[in-house]
Amino acid sequence: MSLQRLGLVASLAVAVLLLFAPQIGPLIHLDTSIVSEVLLFAIAAMSVNLLLGYTGLPAFGNAAFFGLGSYGAGLSIHYFNAGFFLAIVIGIAAALLGALLIGPFLLRRRGIYFGLLTIAFGQVFYFIAYRMTNITGGEDGMNFPRPLVHLGGTTIKIDDVIFYYLSYVVFFIALIAFWYLVRSPFGHTLIAIKQNEVRVRYLGLNSDRFIFVALIVAALYAGLAGALYGLLIMFTFPLALDWHQSGDFVLMLILGGQGSVWGPLVGALIYVVGKDIISTITPAWQIFLGGLFIACVLGFPKGLLGTTISALLARERESDDSAEAAAALEISVPR
Amino acid sequence: MLEHLLPQLFNGLILGAFYAVVALGLSLIMNLTGTINMAHGSFLTLAGYLAFALVTRGTSFWFALLVAPLLTVAVGIIVERTLMRPLYGREPFYSLLLTFGLSLVAEEVYRLIWGANGVPFSPPPSLAGTAQLGFMTFPSYRLFIALALIVVIVALTLFLTHTRFGLRLRAAVLDSEMIAALGTNTQILYMINFGIGILLAGIAGVLAAGLLGLSPTSGNALLMPAFVCVIIGGMGSLFGSIAGGVLVGVAISLTTLYIPAASEVAMYILMAIVLLVRPRGLFGEEGIFG
Repeated sequence: MSLQRLGLVASLAVAVLLLFAPQIGPLIHLDTSIVSEVLLFAIAAMSVNLLLGYTGLPAFGNAAFFGLGSYGAGLSIHYFNAGFFLAIVIGIAAALLGALLIGPFLLRRRGIYFGLLTIAFGQVFYFIAYRMTNITGGEDGMNFPRPLVHLGGTTIKIDDVIFYYLSYVVFFIALIAFWYLVRSPFGHTLIAIKQNEVRVRYLGLNSDRFIFVALIVAALYAGLAGALYGLLIMFTFPLALDWHQSGDFVLMLILGGQGSVWGPLVGALIYVVGKDIISTITPAWQIFLGGLFIACVLGFPKGLLGTTISALLARERESDDSAEAAAALEISVPR
Repeated sequence: MLEHLLPQLFNGLILGAFYAVVALGLSLIMNLTGTINMAHGSFLTLAGYLAFALVTRGTSFWFALLVAPLLTVAVGIIVERTLMRPLYGREPFYSLLLTFGLSLVAEEVYRLIWGANGVPFSPPPSLAGTAQLGFMTFPSYRLFIALALIVVIVALTLFLTHTRFGLRLRAAVLDSEMIAALGTNTQILYMINFGIGILLAGIAGVLAAGLLGLSPTSGNALLMPAFVCVIIGGMGSLFGSIAGGVLVGVAISLTTLYIPAASEVAMYILMAIVLLVRPRGLFGEEGIFG
């Protein structure tokens, strides 16, 4: 079985397995809302993946977009009685607006400097939410109801299972869109920027413009995840905007494997389920979380999925005599 | 309004000196090894708690001010040898991630040892009063902090410009391979450099504990402004970190006086303006870290 076909079969298996999560979950003490959280965090980690895994930009501020999505949804419901889907759209719009505002500043720098800028500008939104107590509820955050959905005369109350299937659909649309995006000419340009931005510029492409679009797409993903997350827990709070939250998204991505389409889901699953299990045993969950960061960086920087794929690739190369072909490929690609 | 302005300006300068000392430590480490230390704030907190532990066991504040930073440096060097060392030469992003993890672990460990709420740590009685400066009265402890931090900054400058080791350090920032080829053990250079960065954090940590309070996350409150100072001052420039610190400190204290709600956001606005006008930072060199 070729690796591509193995990947396809595995993907379909995951899709089918996830389809029955609300039925299987309770058997292993996994709440349906926890599985929804996994899917939503995976979308947020995809947003980091586009910037870090594919464009090579150390994005450490994506929680700003996530939190803006959550606040956009929450505030629009609280103050304007926005409907379920309108709240999501407003959440996404808030995140996009945030990206439009800070994007031009982030573009000014690359490398670790870019990372610092994403943290710093992300914190602006945190402090705004934290300080504007009369509008946002300040440090305590804000509760809001999950609106009913009116569909063709019937009114549907979105319970946890319906919410899960909604997240499921959204997740797979996001995943497939991501898959197409990174295989498009645009995606290839991003990968080229990761490998050698100077060369991309010499080829006559304005790399700033590509990075800006990547930022906007990342904000779209994070904002979508944030808006849905807000609706899931019916609550929005400043720490959703904080750079610690960004760090958690980065960790999920690194855990799963950056630069791979499924990495974010694998990472989010380990993160959320791991947290769920460990925090019932000990309150010092943060030691495990921090230890996980350190272990990831020192032990397996390619992540769980990345390491597995590399191993499979190496085996395939050994088995079907393609070592020569691979070697030939190395030569034909100028370094 | 004016009678509030002068003391507040002075407060801003003290805050700025804190930021500058923390930013200097960050810059030293960043310039030489290209690693970024998100756990810098945790070292500040550690020094504060160690000083607290010493003082509660009966030692004097002065002894704690001397010993706690040195103990922190010892911890810092162990961290450098075991965790930071494998990161040299790798993508700077990994150091960001690793030290972020380290800060999470440290925070939880402090919480387990010293409790989630802050502990009281007050300056010694000899510095508890106020000092007459002629044009205004000012708390003695703040005055002492200002002097101590200025001494630290001057000492670091002299060390870097007037000793052989400082010369090697500055040369290694420019071309560490060449320095290694000329017979300097760069690994030891990296270790001592990290130690100096942590020493600065340690001194600032003990001093800050008496002024800004001591809790598991108190050091992190100085970390983010310090990063902003590095960006404003310009990466690669130590003088820039100092200038950035003073600017941010004054900006924060003045907005606290006039628009309290915007006090945290002020420094980010300052940073945005600097980035627009001069992307490399006020004193930064072109081309360092992109």
